Amino acid sequence: MSVNDNFFGIRKGLLEFIVLLIIAAEKVYAADILKQLSQTEFATQEGTLYPLLSKMRREGLLDYEWQESEAGPPRKYYELTARGREQLRETLEYWNSLNGTVKKLAPK
Amino acid sequence: MNKVITINLGGTAYQLEEGGYDTLRSYLETAAARLQGNPDREEILTDIEWAMAEKFRALLGSHKTVVVTKEVAAVLAEMGPIEAAPGEAPTSGESGAGAPPGGSGPGPAQAESAPPGGGKPKRLYRLYDGAQISGVCNGLAAYLNIDPTLVRLGFVLLTLFWGTGLLVYVVMAIVVPEARSPEEKAAASGDPSTAQEFIRRAKAGYYEAVKGFPDRQARREWKRRFKRDMRAHSYRWRHQWQGYWAEHFPVHPGMAAMLPIFSLLHGGVKIFWLCALVSFLATGALFGAALPENVPVWVAVLVLVIIYGMLTLPLKAARRVCSGGLGQARPLWSVVFLMDAVVWLGVVAVLLWLAFHYFPEVRQAIQAVPTVAHQAADDIQTWWQRK
Repeated sequence: MSVNDNFFGIRKGLLEFIVLLIIAAEKVYAADILKQLSQTEFATQEGTLYPLLSKMRREGLLDYEWQESEAGPPRKYYELTARGREQLRETLEYWNSLNGTVKKLAPK
Repeated sequence: MNKVITINLGGTAYQLEEGGYDTLRSYLETAAARLQGNPDREEILTDIEWAMAEKFRALLGSHKTVVVTKEVAAVLAEMGPIEAAPGEAPTSGESGAGAPPGGSGPGPAQAESAPPGGGKPKRLYRLYDGAQISGVCNGLAAYLNIDPTLVRLGFVLLTLFWGTGLLVYVVMAIVVPEARSPEEKAAASGDPSTAQEFIRRAKAGYYEAVKGFPDRQARREWKRRFKRDMRAHSYRWRHQWQGYWAEHFPVHPGMAAMLPIFSLLHGGVKIFWLCALVSFLATGALFGAALPENVPVWVAVLVLVIIYGMLTLPLKAARRVCSGGLGQARPLWSVVFLMDAVVWLGVVAVLLWLAFHYFPEVRQAIQAVPTVAHQAADDIQTWWQRK
């Protein structure tokens, strides 16, 4: 098993965190998120992203507004709610503490 | 040369090759099945459809108006299978009986292996959703893709000719199987989409855009389907609580034998109610017994309607429970069902008889039917001979 396979579950679990990070940076619609993810280890397909976005919206982390697109159906542009920002802050904090632990334990 | 099917995604019409349409449909069905029980199901499905619309649009240009099968498969492979978000209950489709093919495999495999139900041909079934008596007419209407009322009228008219319609009806009620599983119901109309699916699409402005379909044939076809599905849905909605009771009520299959008895009771109540209603309206008294002085007739009628509803509600539910108890015992079902149909026809006959005897207008109307029919036959004959 390669490192890549070992981290499959962890990447999956971290996806929500990554999506929060992307949406925090700017208002985006789903295709933008997928494009940004595709350049990272978190490359994802619509089939996974849409259910995740809907879940996050239901949990009050995100909100969206409709915007007309020049071609095709209108798009949902997502942004974080106050609760989403709070969640992102907490997750970042936790992530940093994890990172700190790894660094502390790593052989110097 | 390939057949092209016009579909509507996100409010725009797209033309797909037939193979591509089948692939797309099976993808959406799999997605819908996997999201069963997910509170965001409708939203996710709409999002998916709209994302597909964008991708298709990118493929088309002024000289390319049809999305070919290969392109549909590529788009779906790119979208990937629907997966529940982490932390959510596992999606039902993964272990259930209706498990989609391909499972969690990569996109392309899924796109290629359409479920066996995908392009199922139409079959003639009795369709109970929206049925009046046994679903023969309803099933036939779905099969022929016409309005069930027309089919019913056809049967009634045929009955006027030496009872042919009645005979055909009874034979069909026995011979034609009833659509029970969702797959069978789908095969009855040759259309796999469930009513809920159509409601969801209707909400998404789906049918508004049908008006923009380029060819009239497709437009008519979709409108017709929409109407039919709305009818079936409203029927199902009205009968949902009965269905709930039927599902949560342990029944012995033998109870099915009670069905004609409940029907008889129901019919009796109906006849009595109609008689009482007529008696009220005609004489202002209930079978000779006058109303109290200060009660207006309309209040009495209202009370009568409420009483009728309360009496028939448990009877309807009981009938539903009985037919639910039949389960797989099909030979028994036919017999019980035939008896049930006979009971109902009897009720209708009694009502006609009562009307015939107590209302001179009805009697005159019925007696006039042969004369009018003869007249019509004569007229047509003279017209034909003149030609």
